This record gives sequence, structure tokens and C-alpha cells, in this order.
Amino acid sequence: MNSANEKIMTPKEAISRFVQNGDQLVIGNYTVGSCAELVYEVIRQGKKGFTLYSQSGIFDVEVLVGAGCVEKLVTTYVMRPAGKKGGSAVERALQAGTIQMEDYTNFDYNARMVAGMHGLSFIQVLEGVMATDLFRKRGFMGEDKFRVIDCPYTGKKLLTVPAANPDVCIVHVQRADKHGNAQYWGALGSVAAAALASKKIIVSCEEIVEHDIIQSSPHLTIIPAYRVDAVVEVPWGAHPTEVLGHYNIDFFMYGLFMMADSTAEGLKDWMDEWVYGCENRAAYIDRYIGKFGSSVLDSIKAKPFYSAPANYGAAFTSRWDRDGREIFTGLTLPEMETILKERGKFYE
Amino acid sequence: MSKPYTLHELLIIAVAKEIHDYENVILGVGLPTTAGALAKALYAPHATLMMESGIIDFEPLLPLNHIADAHACRGFSYATDLFSAFTMTYRGFVDVCFLGVGQIDKYGNLNTTCIGDYNKPTMRLPGSGGAADFISYAKRTVLTMLGGQFVNTLDYLTSPGYLTGGDSRDQSGLFPKGSGPSMLLTTKGVFRFDPVTREMYLAQIHPKVNVEDVKKDVPWDLKIAEDLSETPHPKDEEIDFIRNFAPNMAIGRELMLELTVANMMKKMKK
Repeated sequence: MNSANEKIMTPKEAISRFVQNGDQLVIGNYTVGSCAELVYEVIRQGKKGFTLYSQSGIFDVEVLVGAGCVEKLVTTYVMRPAGKKGGSAVERALQAGTIQMEDYTNFDYNARMVAGMHGLSFIQVLEGVMATDLFRKRGFMGEDKFRVIDCPYTGKKLLTVPAANPDVCIVHVQRADKHGNAQYWGALGSVAAAALASKKIIVSCEEIVEHDIIQSSPHLTIIPAYRVDAVVEVPWGAHPTEVLGHYNIDFFMYGLFMMADSTAEGLKDWMDEWVYGCENRAAYIDRYIGKFGSSVLDSIKAKPFYSAPANYGAAFTSRWDRDGREIFTGLTLPEMETILKERGKFYE
Repeated sequence: MSKPYTLHELLIIAVAKEIHDYENVILGVGLPTTAGALAKALYAPHATLMMESGIIDFEPLLPLNHIADAHACRGFSYATDLFSAFTMTYRGFVDVCFLGVGQIDKYGNLNTTCIGDYNKPTMRLPGSGGAADFISYAKRTVLTMLGGQFVNTLDYLTSPGYLTGGDSRDQSGLFPKGSGPSMLLTTKGVFRFDPVTREMYLAQIHPKVNVEDVKKDVPWDLKIAEDLSETPHPKDEEIDFIRNFAPNMAIGRELMLELTVANMMKKMKK
């Protein structure tokens, strides 16, 4: 972990320092609020050779695979942008033989992260898939995709999956402090487990807030500071996906992506413009507004609906009352010291 | 000369010095929570104080009553659960934890379960609580024994220290290499463990105590450090912190109870 108190950095610096070619890389977000800018920065830096974990592949997996960054993919869901008519980057890569893949159920995938998060070497999962090709078809993991054991208590056949401990997790949240405490709310999915299972964690957030905000709402923290290596503040960092409390999904931009993603050339052109063509998220948003105006972005900004504050208060916050008397004995400090002296409790 | 101080203050300071900056620290109830607050205030401002109830990175305002005492905190950074607090320790994210001791043997194995026969105990102690798992997987464990005893053979082995000494703990394959108790604090001195034999020795002695006083509590031939030192006198800022933060800890439980009851009686008469 990056223990120095200097975790705030740019996406460029964070990806450059903490993501290596050939890493097991996990996209921490699930379906919503994907860490789009961190994904784009990985692509811009030309990092490759990843074993990519994604609970549910959406545009984020498509662009990483389309850019040739991924050798192996572990997921539960492959996006098909145009239904039967259009292909996807994952499909094209499978057809070209440039990626290998393991298919799990949502539960099995998440279970692997939960086992990793807790330091367990494997975990029991739901045995129904033993009747399916999810169980029978093995990809690059071979025998280690699933193993069956006898329950030591009942003798029943149990299905297990191995723990996953990816090298690095990239994840987007609503807010974090400079120490790395990351707060996220909404659809919790498997976000915390993906992050906590990983060896290194890069957090991007819509806003960096004061530590006081975190301290008064610890129930919203999903990743504690001591696990986090980098904190990057990226407003609109998940666009075109949605971040609760900040913005909705941008169907217009998502539509443009879906149309483009149906073909390799289309995806390449789209990425040339929106990934390689924008050096950072500010440039991306500038390009978007320059090309299409600001009405779409304005229309998807969240209207506030605040959660009720939780009361973390207690009866008192010091052993001394307003008159300087200790709350249980009613004594002032000098009075207390006099008694200690009289009773021979003091070492001189 | 520094201010006069109490034995309890001396003990709290000795424990607090085992916490280093940037460390992740699991605190147990009583003396360690006050030591944690002192360390965070004076020596280790970036330490992350944690409790097994899932209160992570808290700033104590008051001495804690128990290991789930959110009433004593000015908020905290991460609310997790007990299961995760232990698995984070299992995964190696805890640098140091603090445990109380009922009985201890020369290799730092602990009993906090019972004195006498397990099924018909002379004295039934609390049990493991978090102790057995924390001392198994924290990088270091600091032990405090204020009322307990040194024994040749534990009546019940609750928490693993250095097992049978030497490299037996590492050889067992059950624990992270190098983990185990790093010190024991009693009301008479500080004990540490020989890096080779893992046998406990007296490393530091408190003021007003001599080596014979210590030896008479220990049923084996206790080794004494060649460079045996006296526990350093507290600094004024350390005393001031403890007395203000935790006057109850500074003066000790018995006297505190007496003064509290006296105050209640006085109030009732009014």
C-alpha cells in the first residue's frame, strides 16, 4: 500500500504507478457508475496483457478488449450492443482467438471476490450449476475453475470456486477523502468485495471531501483508507454510465457507443475520438460540449434527494463537564491530584 | 523533574509506545484504548485505530467502555463488521494488537478461559473473545497482565504464543512468520521474548520495584536482560494527556469507584 499521505494524484499518474502489463485487473463497479476515466487512461497508456475481471461487462470491457489490452477475461455477462445484428468486441476477439474466457454466474464470480476479500482460499457456491456447461466447459482455468468437495459435516457434494485476489482494482465512487476512505451508495453490487479482494486499489471519485464528512458517515465507507493506493478526483468520471446523486446514464452518448461498437472499425473510430482523442476527462467533457452543446449533460444532472443524516451523537464527549469537574466524581483536576497525593498514589 | 505520576499512567505510556506511526492497531478494552488515544495524540498521528466490532479509524474522545463503544468516538472512517475485522487481520493488515492476560507461560502462551479444571473451574475467566485469532495473525501482539499469574503450565491454552519455544510457532505452519507476542507489561515491569529461544525475559523494571520482587511471581528461573533498564519517567505532556482524557484510568479502578460512589451519595443527600 501507498502509506504516505500523498495519495491524491491524476488518473495518468495513478495508472502509470499502480497498473502493470500482465496484471490481473478488476473493474470494481458493477453495471452502474463504471470507472470510465480510469479505464480510458489504461487504454491511453497502452497497458496490456491483462487478465480482466468484470462482474458484468458493459462498455468498459468492450473498450478494453477492443483496444487489445485483454488476454484473458473472467466475467458473467458479455454486452451485445445491437442485438442479433451487431457483434461486440469480446465476440470479435473470441472469433479471432485473441482472448481466452471463463464464464461464471454472477454469484460464483462475486463469491470468488468475497473469498479473496476475507483471505479464504476457496468458497462454497450454489451447486445447481453442476448440471450446466458453466461447470463442464473449462477455459484457461481448467480444473481450477470449479472443484467439488465432500461436505465434512453432511457428506453432500459441494461446489467450490477459488478465491480471486486481483493485482489491482480500479473503481469509481461518489466521494473519498485524501487519505483514501471511499464512500459509495446506491446499488452495492459486488463493489466492496472486488476492491477489498485486490492487492492494490485505485479509487476515482466525483469529489474529494474533508475527512470530517467521512467521520460523520462511516456507514457509507466501502473501502478504508489503509487499503487505498491512489485517490483521483474525476467529475463525470463514470460518464456515460450513471452515478447516483450526480448524473443519470447518458443514453445519447451510450447510443453513439453502441452503434459504433457493432463493428471493429466503428469502435476504433469511436475510441480514436473519445478515448485516445481526449487526454483526460476534462478534455472529454469539453469535446462533448463543443460538439453537442451542454443540453444533454445539463438534463441528466441529479436533482437532490438526500438521505436522512444518521445521528452519531452521545451524551458527552469528554470526562469533564462545563465547570471542569470530572463527570462521575464531581472533582476538579487539582482536587483529584490532591487526593492522589494524600493516598500515596504518586511516584515523584 | 517531571510532575508526579501514578503507576497506571506509567503503564499506559509504556503500552502506547508500542504503537508506531502509520500502523494499523487493534485495541482491546481498558488500558489499551487509552494507550491508543495517547499514541494517536502524541507519537503516532497517522495510526489507524480499530476495534473488532468493526469500528475502524476512530478518534477516541473518552476512554472506551468496551470494544463496541461508538459513544466514545468523534465519528470514525469505516463501519464494517466483526467477520471482516478478523479477516483483515488474517490477511495481514493488522500491525499490532493488544490483549489482556489471565495466565501466561514462559513462551507467551495465554490462558483467559479458566483457572482450575475446565468443567469445574475454580475461577471462570471470560474466554477467548477475539484473543486467539488476533494473536494468531497480527504481526505483533502486546500483552498486559495487571492481575494475572505466571505459570509453568497453563490450565487452558486459549491463545497461542510461541508454543513450545524456539521456532515451534513458525514451524507449525499455522501463523504468519515472525508473528507472536512482542512484549508483556505487568505492574512490575516489561518482559520481552528472546529472538532465538522465545523465552520471556525481564527487559525493563518499573520504579520502586527490584528484580527480586519480579522473580518471586515467576515459577521458573526468569532470565534478566543484561541491559535491564528502568521504565522511563513519564513526560509532563504524557501525564497531562492521560489525566485529561481518562482521569479514571489515571487514578485506577478502585479509587475511581470509591470517589464516584462518594459523589453520588453527596448528590442524593442534596
